[in-house]
Amino acid sequence: MLACDAVDLTLRRGEVHGVLGENGAGKSTLMKILIGLVLPDDGRVDVRGRSVHITDPLVAADLGIAMVHQHYSLVDALSVWENVVLGEPARLDPSAARARVREIGEHYGLDVDPDARVGSLTAGQRQRVEIVKCLRRDPTILVFDEPTSVLTPAESDQLFSVLRRVVAEEGRTVALVSHKLDEVLQATDVISIMRQGRVVEHLPAADADARTLARAMVGREVSLRAEAAAFGLAEAVQGAAPDLVSTVAAEPVPALRIRGASVRGRDGAPKLVALDVVVGAGEIVGVAGVEGNGQRELADVLSSLTKLDEGTVEVAGVAVPTGRPGAMAAAGVGVIPEDRHDSGCVLGMSVAENLAMADPHGVARRGMLDRRALRQRAARLMSEFEISAPGPDTPMRLLSGGNQQRVVLARELSASPTVLVAAQPTHGLDVGAIEYMGARLRAAAESGVGVLLISNELEEILALAHRIVVVHRGRVVGEMTRAEADLERIGLLMGGAAA
Amino acid sequence: MREIEELPLAVVDAAPVIPGGPPRRPVRDAVVTVATYVVSIAVALALCALLVAATGGSWEKVFSALIDGSLRSPGAWGLTLTTAAPLLIVAVGTIVATKAGLVNIGQEGQLLIGASCCAYVAVRIPGPGWFALLAALTAGLAGGALWAGLAAGMRFWRQVPEVISTLLLVFVAFQLVAYGLTKTWLLLDRTPRINKNNTGEPLPTDRTFGHLHLFGNDVSLSVVLALVLAVLIALWLSRSVGGFRLRMLGLNPRAAQRSGVSAVKVGGTALVASGAFAGLAGGVLLTSESAGDRVTTAFSGNYGWQGLLVALLARDRPLVAIPMALVFAALRTGSGFLAATGVERRIADVVQAMLVLALLIPPAIAAIRDRRRAVAAARAGAMATAPATAGAAA
Amino acid sequence: MIWDVLSSSILYESAFRLAVLFVLAATGEWMAERAGTLNISLEGMIIAGAFGAAVGSSTFDSVWVGLGYAAVAGLVLAAVQANMSHRLTANQFVVGLTLNVLVVGLTAFLNAELKPVVQRAGVVEIPLLSKIPLVGTAFFGQSWPAYMVYLAVPLAWFLVFRTRWGLELRACGENPQSADVSGVHVNKRRRQAIYLCGIYAGLGGGFLTLAQVGTFEPQGVAGRGFIAIAAVIFGGWTLKGTIAGCFVFGTAQALGSVLQALGYRANPQLLTSLPYVLALATMLLFAHRTRPPAALARPFVRGLT
Repeated sequence: MLACDAVDLTLRRGEVHGVLGENGAGKSTLMKILIGLVLPDDGRVDVRGRSVHITDPLVAADLGIAMVHQHYSLVDALSVWENVVLGEPARLDPSAARARVREIGEHYGLDVDPDARVGSLTAGQRQRVEIVKCLRRDPTILVFDEPTSVLTPAESDQLFSVLRRVVAEEGRTVALVSHKLDEVLQATDVISIMRQGRVVEHLPAADADARTLARAMVGREVSLRAEAAAFGLAEAVQGAAPDLVSTVAAEPVPALRIRGASVRGRDGAPKLVALDVVVGAGEIVGVAGVEGNGQRELADVLSSLTKLDEGTVEVAGVAVPTGRPGAMAAAGVGVIPEDRHDSGCVLGMSVAENLAMADPHGVARRGMLDRRALRQRAARLMSEFEISAPGPDTPMRLLSGGNQQRVVLARELSASPTVLVAAQPTHGLDVGAIEYMGARLRAAAESGVGVLLISNELEEILALAHRIVVVHRGRVVGEMTRAEADLERIGLLMGGAAA
Repeated sequence: MREIEELPLAVVDAAPVIPGGPPRRPVRDAVVTVATYVVSIAVALALCALLVAATGGSWEKVFSALIDGSLRSPGAWGLTLTTAAPLLIVAVGTIVATKAGLVNIGQEGQLLIGASCCAYVAVRIPGPGWFALLAALTAGLAGGALWAGLAAGMRFWRQVPEVISTLLLVFVAFQLVAYGLTKTWLLLDRTPRINKNNTGEPLPTDRTFGHLHLFGNDVSLSVVLALVLAVLIALWLSRSVGGFRLRMLGLNPRAAQRSGVSAVKVGGTALVASGAFAGLAGGVLLTSESAGDRVTTAFSGNYGWQGLLVALLARDRPLVAIPMALVFAALRTGSGFLAATGVERRIADVVQAMLVLALLIPPAIAAIRDRRRAVAAARAGAMATAPATAGAAA
Repeated sequence: MIWDVLSSSILYESAFRLAVLFVLAATGEWMAERAGTLNISLEGMIIAGAFGAAVGSSTFDSVWVGLGYAAVAGLVLAAVQANMSHRLTANQFVVGLTLNVLVVGLTAFLNAELKPVVQRAGVVEIPLLSKIPLVGTAFFGQSWPAYMVYLAVPLAWFLVFRTRWGLELRACGENPQSADVSGVHVNKRRRQAIYLCGIYAGLGGGFLTLAQVGTFEPQGVAGRGFIAIAAVIFGGWTLKGTIAGCFVFGTAQALGSVLQALGYRANPQLLTSLPYVLALATMLLFAHRTRPPAALARPFVRGLT
């Protein structure tokens, strides 16, 4: 599998250059080469006409290339100014650092308090700190990797205006990596499209439209209506009449009812505040919101990983104790977690063992595992869910991300759950895998499972959900059916404004 | 809010996540692996030989004395086998805890407490020999379990890291037993003697493990017990549902919690069990008379520490622990013959520790090699054969 | 009786003297743990330092050389621990444990073969200050190596909180992935923290031999390295708290001889076990309330993606 293959890319001063491609197209790898986190096997990188070898982030910084990361560049326990100066070789000067942070913040309209502890900031504020950190090194080239996944629509607009300013007024270059057509059409001057490791097309944004971009991205004609979500086309999704069959059975008892859920984090800050959610059998309820507003805690509660301080959870009308190991799973709650390595699978075990995790007694006789039954179950599930691996005894850690996700999906669905919680299920997956996951979730709903879809990507929710619930700071701030859904209103709610 | 308790000092191994896996070359890899093990061990032994030479000893004499003491001299290998039994039992117990993700390093203390409880019951309980032996061993098991249970309680109730608490409890155990040996109503010898020197009461001879007489060697039946336990645990860990759940807990506690494995119940039980094994080993040590027939303050004699090292050496595999326990036992019994060579007998301890260190290196090298290959593979995938240019014009 | 004890300057003097070892070792371990490493070979580093001091002072008839040897011995052990765990990725608990056992055996072996004769350090009273009633001799009237703590602790604080090195160190202990991406060499910083820990712990062992006990005893350290680790936990990974814990444990250890000197009798086993029991008790009270560095005891390997 080639991640990058004979890539030709030219970034010019004073432009916002969009690098568009689906997940797995190689754009992240390409940017990592530019930033020194990955070393190329072949090829040349020229900066200002001179050939260079970028061997680590410090070298890239010297060359004037800086990246605004999504998740992995800030240390929660340190303050904003400490994070901004982290990694620089100069002597530590707190007051100068603080002053500089304020200066950059004011100049670009990135409001941030130098002494705040990064761990207490929202996702949008953290991104601002990342940008300040980036700008401090006075880079010629700024690389943004999927920046809007953690922002509300309003914050995204603000980001784009900052980008314009940085580029137009100061002659820098911005490379904007994204898989969302909307974003790229809106914010960039020039677009390079990558597919399967190659740059397949290159054109000014003014000449581009959604259809041609999408076709270049996946190499075939696409129906934007049907696949809009995968391409991050909010408009198309909104406009398209949802092809959803709502088989919400006239059941008196909902599949899942969460009442008054409240939970505090380890530091005492409230994570969930009197949260109420109801999911009917056969219904897909989308939980929309910017990352960091309680979604993770909600998924953890439904995975028996967190105990509620207050409130109840009822599955098919029966109260389930929270925080008790295995109680949720036993009650019929399947979970596809946000980070499969964290709680979804055991990397050190084989595929077959992972598939049997929740119910080892099902493949055991008199307390001893029956190897044959284990393998048979694995073989069956592997073919049903198209899991690609050398065999059922393959260690889980050797599977690709997409296949690992399928193992998790297979295990959860094969347990015939009453409720299925899918948290960021398509994160990092390519268009084909995204489509597959979406189809599976719809199929589950049609068979009567109540699906709770937690996602940062609005397009995904709009494409799949029958009903939408918006969360902000651990509370439900808005609820509407798909028909009533309105991008603007949801965006405002996500940002905390009353709508 | 109470999250699944994320004990900060959990043991995490740095294993790389390699999608697709590194390219593998099985035969060549196997040869290289064996070679690294051989070289590692050779280097370790060579360093020890150097140490002996540097302090004026003769390493050939040392080696010869070790072989004499452990295998060659009359009755030696029987003694070595008998010595291996408690080591193996401690090691197997340690492996159970490690597989559950817990770090127990208090075996020396758990063993001593177990031996003391065993002694207390053995010298007091009426009845036929086999019954008393059984009761005494059970007492030993219970004593060790209780002692580890203290650490388990502290860990699961108050997040006190068990690596520290089990260790500190070793020293508390020593003091507790020392105290017990001053009081006849506890451990002190009740028989009227002149020079008791704070030792325990001698064990009645009918309450000991019998011996097998093989080829002129006395092999205690405790060896059979140890072997049976090792095999049972090996089977349980790899084949049973309980063992499966335990392993899940050790590999990914959050995934395990989701699947119904309670860190407190399963983990706590594992820690208590490992203490029970150590306590049993203490009882076995007493009733097989390989360390004397009575409890003293120095009774545990490093059996606990060395059993732990055996588990490390065996890389947490109960069946591999069997030959490893023999190696350590050989070093133990062999070192008894070192006095004649003029070399301080502690050299055996040095050899043991060096062996464990030596065996840590090959897997680490293999992991690095795997990671390097994975990086190369990703790159080979990442950049292509045809020349490419990425230019950033000023 | 309590008043008798509290009002005797012997208590404070003994407590301080016994706390020096804890303070040095725990400060070193504090630095190592703030970097994200859990260093259970601390015990071994102390023993190595204690033995090194014996050999050094014996061979050269000089306490200074003894201290030098002590620091080097601790450093050597730290080098093995650091490179095996944070370069070769061996499990740091296993390595630490094995090193402890190795050092015990090795020093016992060499001690029997070499039989060093320790050169003891003399008491140096700081004029004026040592005349302060009750605590004067405790803080200013000790054998001169004790005064190392007055340099070592502020130095550690300065390094960790006022230098770039320290900022990077703390980042490595909280979020090594972010530190790595920001250009910090994570494993190198972690190794450096362990080296420093080795030097500090070695010096602590040196103090033990040269100023506290006067000889090298193979079983002399007796788990005090672990009590030092408990002090770091007690202190919630703050330096102040750690030092406070060290003094608590030092006092506990001093009680035995103090009571005896004052003519009281107490159960010897109880007194000997007091520091350990206290360490356990303080962890029981405080461990669940404090927050360790987020990446403590988690090894760092730069991932592929």
